[in-house]
Amino acid sequence: MFLAHVNSLEASIFSSLAILSLLLAFVMLGSHWLRNYVYAFAAESWLIAALSAAVGYFGGYRELYAIAVLTALFRGLVLPWLLVRIISHLNVKREMHAVLQPSSSLVVGALLVMFAFVIANHMNHETATAGHVVVLALTIMISLKLLGFLMLSVRNEAISQILGLLVLENGIFLGSQILVPGMPMLIEIVILFDLLIVVACFGMLVRYLVVHAGTTSSRELQKLVG
Amino acid sequence: MVLSDLVLQICQVLCVLLLAPLLQGFILKAEERVQRSRGPSLIQPYRDLWKLFHKELVLPESASWIFWIAPFVAFTAMLIVPILIPVLTDRPLPLSDMGDMLGGGMVLTLGSFAILLAGLDSGNVYGGIGSSRAVMLGILAEPTLILVLVGISLLAKAMLPFVVNHLLLSSLSVYWSPAHVFLILGFFALLLVETDRLPIHSSTHIEIYMIDEARILEYSGPLLALLKWASMMKQFILYIIFCNVFLLPWGMSQLGTPLGQLGSVFTLLLKFLLVALAVVVVETVQSRLRFYRYQEPLAAGFLFAVLAIVSSQLL
Amino acid sequence: MAYDLALILFLAPAIAAIASLLLRQPRIAEYLTVAAAVIDLVVSIPMLVSVLRNGPVTALHGYVLIDTLGTWVMICIAIVYALSSLYAVGYMRLLNEEGRLSLFYSLFSGFAFTMFAACVMNNAGVFWIAIELTTLISTFLVGFEREAESTEAAWKYIVVVSSGISLALLGTVLFYWGGSFVLGPTYAMTWAALHQSAAQVYTPLLTVSFLLVLVGYGTKAGLAPMHTWLPDAHSESPAPVSAMLSGALLNASMLGIARFLAVVDGTRTSRFAHSAVVSFGIFSFVLAALFIVRQTDVKRLMAYSSVEHIGVQALGLGFGGALGVAGTLYHMLNHSLNKSLMFFGSGNAMRAYGTKDIGGIRSVLRTFPASGTLWLLGAVGIAGAPPFALFLSEFTILRAGMGGRYRWAAILFVVFLIVVFIGFLSHFRSMYFDQTAEPGEKLSGLAWRALPMWLAFAPILILGLWWPQHLWSVFARISSNLVGVAQ
Repeated sequence: MFLAHVNSLEASIFSSLAILSLLLAFVMLGSHWLRNYVYAFAAESWLIAALSAAVGYFGGYRELYAIAVLTALFRGLVLPWLLVRIISHLNVKREMHAVLQPSSSLVVGALLVMFAFVIANHMNHETATAGHVVVLALTIMISLKLLGFLMLSVRNEAISQILGLLVLENGIFLGSQILVPGMPMLIEIVILFDLLIVVACFGMLVRYLVVHAGTTSSRELQKLVG
Repeated sequence: MVLSDLVLQICQVLCVLLLAPLLQGFILKAEERVQRSRGPSLIQPYRDLWKLFHKELVLPESASWIFWIAPFVAFTAMLIVPILIPVLTDRPLPLSDMGDMLGGGMVLTLGSFAILLAGLDSGNVYGGIGSSRAVMLGILAEPTLILVLVGISLLAKAMLPFVVNHLLLSSLSVYWSPAHVFLILGFFALLLVETDRLPIHSSTHIEIYMIDEARILEYSGPLLALLKWASMMKQFILYIIFCNVFLLPWGMSQLGTPLGQLGSVFTLLLKFLLVALAVVVVETVQSRLRFYRYQEPLAAGFLFAVLAIVSSQLL
Repeated sequence: MAYDLALILFLAPAIAAIASLLLRQPRIAEYLTVAAAVIDLVVSIPMLVSVLRNGPVTALHGYVLIDTLGTWVMICIAIVYALSSLYAVGYMRLLNEEGRLSLFYSLFSGFAFTMFAACVMNNAGVFWIAIELTTLISTFLVGFEREAESTEAAWKYIVVVSSGISLALLGTVLFYWGGSFVLGPTYAMTWAALHQSAAQVYTPLLTVSFLLVLVGYGTKAGLAPMHTWLPDAHSESPAPVSAMLSGALLNASMLGIARFLAVVDGTRTSRFAHSAVVSFGIFSFVLAALFIVRQTDVKRLMAYSSVEHIGVQALGLGFGGALGVAGTLYHMLNHSLNKSLMFFGSGNAMRAYGTKDIGGIRSVLRTFPASGTLWLLGAVGIAGAPPFALFLSEFTILRAGMGGRYRWAAILFVVFLIVVFIGFLSHFRSMYFDQTAEPGEKLSGLAWRALPMWLAFAPILILGLWWPQHLWSVFARISSNLVGVAQ
């Protein structure tokens, strides 16, 4: 496994980049202006692209450079641009009526990170430096998932839900860069493009929501119950 | 020719004393330039100090001896701290083990505390407001400062800033470790607060916004000059700590030759340029926060400091 | 031979989809779709025969694997595709959406294409991508009617299912990571490779990965408590799409769970995995039974019945062994047929009475004498009563459960089956035998809408009375292949 041969400098760099990505997820959790979410998401994608390039550099995986560039381009530029466009068409600037205040959701987020840490510790049986980075990568992957689900559940706006989904995908991507950098490139590239298609579909649906349902806030989409 | 340690020590203090207004002038000018106006000249703070030293001293009737002593205490505190921290050389000079990092922090706070008392002393309304707000900010900021210092001590396993500097120079893996990155971010948040930058302070003199200006509203003449100089030196010192201990520990003189000293001064100014530009950008991009939201950037700083400590233990 | 048949199977809906989109003629689109669906149905059965005789076929550098399990699911999908496209011809004409009909049929065939693609994927990652594509295409089908409710349903569908299957992606990546300890950093993530390395992977890692995959694909399949999208999506979409979603898509997702069960088979996680599947299955069953009792909307009733039957399929897979797997596979076929029948009937009723409320639908037999009888008999069948096919498959699963560790689940199954029977049929009793004023109006095109119901009903009756010996041996072969996937 790649991580078995990592030295302390590499471990530090990977750890820093990964933890900063997690921190940006907390920033997303704590803000209620929609534009701030998108910018934090873009920054997170850039960090993950940097991580990908770092793994490629230190591990000797040349194809990861291409993936890093594609990630920075698509997840870091194109997706945020698409989302900002949707936001500006929508006339919604911020979350009204948040279920959880930002400060409480930060605390819940911290608890979820601790839970993820427990699971990651349980799943890992390496020791030494490699073990630390493995546990960190697993923790961040699982906690980004959990934070994404938290964002999906406590946010009402459609855009926030799209962003929650994208955070989920970001988490998987982050973890897969550190843990399995050798995964066949075909799959990584297809997943990347799949994400673009997903966001395009979401964009179309959001427009339909505005036109036909009259609102994008799921607080008001209450017609189908039982 | 290697200069003696005593001379080096005096050089450090003089450097802080003489170059602090230059940094202030640069920040003010850069802010104005970023907003496309011309701004005051770089040496304007020197001219202001000169002017103030030649003005008449006016005292309020209700002032006591604290009113007299506070500017001197603050000024002296700011002169002591450069002895303790790495300013120009990266090896400890004779008197620098008078206090470690916590000691230096305490001396800095002592200066601020003296001014606080002076603000309350004359019974002026604005002084009271300024002092109480400053205390509130202090309550929020001091724990963060302490945790940052604790964090860096845990990382270096020593309380001296010189040891930290050497560690960061020698080991790249510690420089890039998550603990260190968080400490940089936490200290940057603190830097913004302690040096009176937005999003907390504003540079206008409208009463409801003032914090620091309110405290020194009663002062005039040479005492005011001393206070202003002290705050400029505090800014300079915090920048020194940020650059030489945390962010950019390179470029300091190792042998102690005069040429090395000059080069060290030059590098210092260069590092400050970078940090000051970052601060100016941060300040221009945001507006002032409302009063009850002052806790938010400081809470973020606190969070960073805690995360730094946690990650230094776990990783 | 299987390869050529597969090629035809994939080309037919692809051509239908592209041609419908380009030509924009509703009538041509209708006939193309029906033709493609019938071709697929006709081609899929010899494909199964060929695979049984000659063994599984790999293609496209090992990315495509045509094996018995996949082919069986493809037959179920093809049946539903054929029946729904027949029904759609008559139904969609009632919607007054002539301009967009060609888009509908194009999406319809595209949906079928992606489901077929999911059944033949050999690589776990590409399988995930195929499932994600089915979600994306079916969202637009669900929201086709551009009403407030259907848009809301489509939104809920895509958000819940996409987030759910992202969990499955995480599980897949973790499976890959586990395998990389054994097989090296780069290897093709085929089912066989995963199974081969599974025995040596650290057990907690394998357990967590399997759980993630189960929850992820379980969201897509409609297992409770991840089923929240299902009643909305299945009730708000047009009836032919509901039939496709219930009858075909849920089966394709169960295929994913079955494949991952096969991957962990034989390791220390296997017991936990089976228990997890059984727990989700019985929970879905119980929850669906409780919701069925208090439904007021006829299509939501059918949707909850789908949740119930997916729970039964999960129970079958979880009970395991030859009996359990055979029961599940048979159940897939029977459920596809029966559920299509039910959705077709409810579509007819909706259009005739102008409402989806059970309270607004009365005296069905007067409006639809022949197809109404079929609907009622289909309701009896879907509640699990003999002499219909679902009774046989549920009975087989029950036998599989009673014999092993999961007797508690089997007993709960029986008890709540009674609840379902009573609840479901009481709704139908009120629809058929209560007297109120307005009958429904008779609309045109009934022939198109009734024919698929006959075509769906006949096999249910036949298969309920006679379980062919040949079919039993096919299931035995599939279940043995499921257990020993390392080929």
